[in-house]
Amino acid sequence: MRYLQKFAAVRFARRLVVFGILTIGLALSAGPASAQQFTPRDESPEDYPAGAGRDDAFYACTACHGFKLVAQQGQNRRQWDDTINWMAEKHNMPKLEGKDRETVLNYLEATYPPRAPGGWQNPFLNR
Amino acid sequence: MLGRIERSIDELYRDDAERADAVAFGRETGASRRGFLGGAGLAAMSAAVGGAIPFVANMPGGLIPAALAQSAPPAQAPAAAPKGPQYLKFPGKSDKLVVLGDKPLVAETPEHLLDDATTPTDKLFVRNNGQIPDEAKDPDKWKITIDGEVNNKLELTLGELKSKYKAITRRLVLECGGNGRSFFTPQARGNQWTNGGAGCSEWTGVRLADLLKAAGVKPSAVFSGHYGADPHLSGDASKPSISRGVPIKKLMDENNLVVWALNGQPLPHIHGGPVRLLIPGWPGSVSNKWLTRIWLRDKVHDGPGMGQFSYRVAIKPMVPGDKPDEKNFRDLESMPVRSIITSPANGAKLPAGTKDVKLRGAAWAGDNTVKQVDVSTDFGATWTRATVEGPKNKYDWQRWTASVRLPSDGYFEIWTRGTDSKGTMQPHLAGFWNPQGYGGNPMHRVAVLVG
Repeated sequence: MRYLQKFAAVRFARRLVVFGILTIGLALSAGPASAQQFTPRDESPEDYPAGAGRDDAFYACTACHGFKLVAQQGQNRRQWDDTINWMAEKHNMPKLEGKDRETVLNYLEATYPPRAPGGWQNPFLNR
Repeated sequence: MLGRIERSIDELYRDDAERADAVAFGRETGASRRGFLGGAGLAAMSAAVGGAIPFVANMPGGLIPAALAQSAPPAQAPAAAPKGPQYLKFPGKSDKLVVLGDKPLVAETPEHLLDDATTPTDKLFVRNNGQIPDEAKDPDKWKITIDGEVNNKLELTLGELKSKYKAITRRLVLECGGNGRSFFTPQARGNQWTNGGAGCSEWTGVRLADLLKAAGVKPSAVFSGHYGADPHLSGDASKPSISRGVPIKKLMDENNLVVWALNGQPLPHIHGGPVRLLIPGWPGSVSNKWLTRIWLRDKVHDGPGMGQFSYRVAIKPMVPGDKPDEKNFRDLESMPVRSIITSPANGAKLPAGTKDVKLRGAAWAGDNTVKQVDVSTDFGATWTRATVEGPKNKYDWQRWTASVRLPSDGYFEIWTRGTDSKGTMQPHLAGFWNPQGYGGNPMHRVAVLVG
């Protein structure tokens, strides 16, 4: 799980900020709900299909975005490979290489392969 | 909600330090133990903080208020992966919008919710590329900069925009570049929009062209680069979440607005308030929310979201699903023609014996207008012409109505096909596949069951 530790420094800096917010927040009463207080729905690896490498894939992706975005996709191994490159080149993902990459790719390939498009569904099919 | 943090940080690190890192940094969950700050204690603390406490598990015990150090609630089985659509829960937004992703927050408007002539604010889709920035404390002091290839760099506050320039209100379609992506086969990469990444609301602001005139655009300006205040998802403060732009000709279009009001109210934070850009007809990603800067450039912009396959389509049509060649791609510019049925809803049940069905819908076509809308109840074998209203102003959508007669009870699909002012129609399928699924505009279909 060396890969996960690569995020540690960034995460540490972020949690310092969170501590600050927490300290201020506890000193005040809860204000009215507003947009900036939107809380993304919490996710955990167990929300997604079991399989070897699930946790690695989950944590590699959710450093930035929800895994729900990943689970919407259906791609072959080459497309998943391209997607990881794209994330590293364009979206600040730390490079994922060697065994860690294999593990993540194996899970994504097995769990989210190309599938029938989901765009339009017969609404009466499963009445 | 945050939840299901397994156990104390001390326990975790004692047992397995590596795994503890994963838990602490990634909020890993477990089925059996849910003690540490689970349930009500966490909810209370989140409320006190006014939001999620993403790294709550990192807090040493000494910092946790004693009142919150509750005993563990009983163990529960982990929740099954959610089935069916996830509906949006967000202040000021309809709880019938469908969430495509929480982080970044993306939610679409099912077609039947686009039945209003003017899309109400609560029904307007939500697209974010980065994090949602902090709300401006003093909106009138929000500042935008226009610089680069201009004679006079402009720095204007919202207060100055309102007082120094003429405000106009227009009803304009805002549409995500990936609208219709879910209709591609094989599946294209990205948020799986149906037709709901679009809406048509009343926007108030100043013409961007007026600001550009004041800045004095140099002949060397060929392209723009737009920036907003939303932080990158990774938290990297040096990286914009997205920064796209348009050729100077499109930038100068008199219909582009720097907006501060939506449907007569101050522009809501979630829609980019206090100030956003609106460049209608093109992918919504050029219309930055929380606008901070428009940079005029002497070359094509290269910010995040430009180049490679982002908002780009193949020049020479490619085999669907093949490895794409970067050199074979060009920017998606005008959005394609799209017509939707807004009533009846997909899945409507009509009483036995129903023969005549009244249809309502909307159609729009990027930089073009809609010349014609046709509807079919027999999968395209025969067509009926709809009555299409004119737009209120350029880049408005066009509402349409039609009446169709069904021959019997049973299952029918109603299809709609728009034709733009250049004569281009919507196809049956999303064609001209590209890896990130742009330009997907197949005919919209709704199924109804009579009797």
